[in-house]
Amino acid sequence: MLPVAHVGHYLWTLYVIPILIVVGAIIRNTVAQRRLAREDAEEEVR
Amino acid sequence: MTFLPFAHALVSRKDLPIPAWLFAWAASIVLIASFFALSAAWRKPQFEDERRRPLGERFSAVLTSVPVQVVCGAVAVFLLGFAIYAGLHGTEAPDRNFALTFLFVTCWLGFAFFSAIFGDVFRPFNPWRAVGRAVGGGFRTIAGQRPAHLPYPEWLGRWPAAIGLLATVWLEVVYGASGGVAVGLSPDAAGLAALLYSVYTLAMMAVFGTEEWCDRGEIFSVYFGMFGRLGLFGSRDGRLYRRRPLAATTNWASVPGSAAVVIASIASTSFDGAQEGAFKDPIENLFEWFANRGMELTSALRLTDTIFMLLTFAAVGAVYQLGVRGMRTVPGAPSFKQLRTGFAHTLIPIALAYLVAHYFSLFFFQEQAQFTYILSDPLGTGHTDLFGTVNGLVDYKALSANMIWYVQVAALVIGHVIGLMLAHDRALVYWPDYRKATASQYWMLAVMVAFTCFGLYLLSVANG
Repeated sequence: MLPVAHVGHYLWTLYVIPILIVVGAIIRNTVAQRRLAREDAEEEVR
Repeated sequence: MTFLPFAHALVSRKDLPIPAWLFAWAASIVLIASFFALSAAWRKPQFEDERRRPLGERFSAVLTSVPVQVVCGAVAVFLLGFAIYAGLHGTEAPDRNFALTFLFVTCWLGFAFFSAIFGDVFRPFNPWRAVGRAVGGGFRTIAGQRPAHLPYPEWLGRWPAAIGLLATVWLEVVYGASGGVAVGLSPDAAGLAALLYSVYTLAMMAVFGTEEWCDRGEIFSVYFGMFGRLGLFGSRDGRLYRRRPLAATTNWASVPGSAAVVIASIASTSFDGAQEGAFKDPIENLFEWFANRGMELTSALRLTDTIFMLLTFAAVGAVYQLGVRGMRTVPGAPSFKQLRTGFAHTLIPIALAYLVAHYFSLFFFQEQAQFTYILSDPLGTGHTDLFGTVNGLVDYKALSANMIWYVQVAALVIGHVIGLMLAHDRALVYWPDYRKATASQYWMLAVMVAFTCFGLYLLSVANG
């Protein structure tokens, strides 16, 4: 039997993708903001 | 609500223009766009003030008058008593017995839907409150003083209602679905449960006071009252007023246990939707595991369903807590406890959206039965025709499968956008700098997207 026959069992992954995109964007944004804050702090020290 | 005649998966969809999962993507895009629109244009809290506008004095006086309250209470007590009687003495066929449709569809769903539009319409029709007030009034007349009550423990808050809400849904979807009855909860079990709950509620009212128990512990007052906060009308000091829609939700969750009530509402609806769909395979696997270890089959099924119901409650609660923890990382954030309480009301429109999405078709179809053959033959004996409507039929063609799906999607999207609005508004109270408020709401956006996709997934599997 082709593995494609069981593709229906993994349909839930299509519903998870938007959540992952949003969570990924938040994490990326948080990391970027922290890096900016750290760089600003280092700049002030210099 | 899994009993067969009430099943909400009445028909399957065949011809959607795009796959069901793409609706989840589209809904997520709508939420993200709404989020950025709110961030750009909504910079001052709008919902902290209800902006009450009193209704006409005479109109208010009539609706809140003692005779009207007595009539409403008497009607409610009669209908509850009749539902108990029908449950205990009527037919065992769940779809023909007045008790099940009346208690679990007409009241359970009807009061929630109408409260969300008009305000707390259950309060005047609460049969236990009516009895409690009548007994309290009688006591005052005879004894010449108010009955003495114990002070309600502040820490207990709405926890009795939250636990009771889960217990009610458990009775219906776990006990009923695995009770050995061919089609779900038997009418006599429903009648007996209503009778026992009445005794328990009246006892608690005697101990803590009628209004106190209704505000905190009485399951249905708290549950319908929660949705009533979304509605257009309220009352204070015997005067009815119109208020800004949604604004009354903002102080609803200040009582301990309120977050648990709204999470229990979302979780119980989710579990009911997932039981025969998304959770079907894991439930079967765990059930077989218990059964293979010698557990009696009914007990194994009930235990399995109970575990999954509690897991759903824990999972919904965990998603919300994650959102709150995320907000806590934003500079200037109040305490975790304050945030958890402060944003709990943002879940109320989501609880309503889940309720509409999962049950509106059931309500639409089953109410046709309620007001035709069940009303004319409430005991289901086959020998009664009180109003000449006993031969009435449910018109299942009145709603197409695709129409049901579109309403479900719309309910979920609108409910979550309203949730986002309420969350953004509350964030502006905690973080007056709108940039920080927006940063805190990234996390609530993730929570809303997660609930939307989860809800659509459950529906797509259940309907599919």
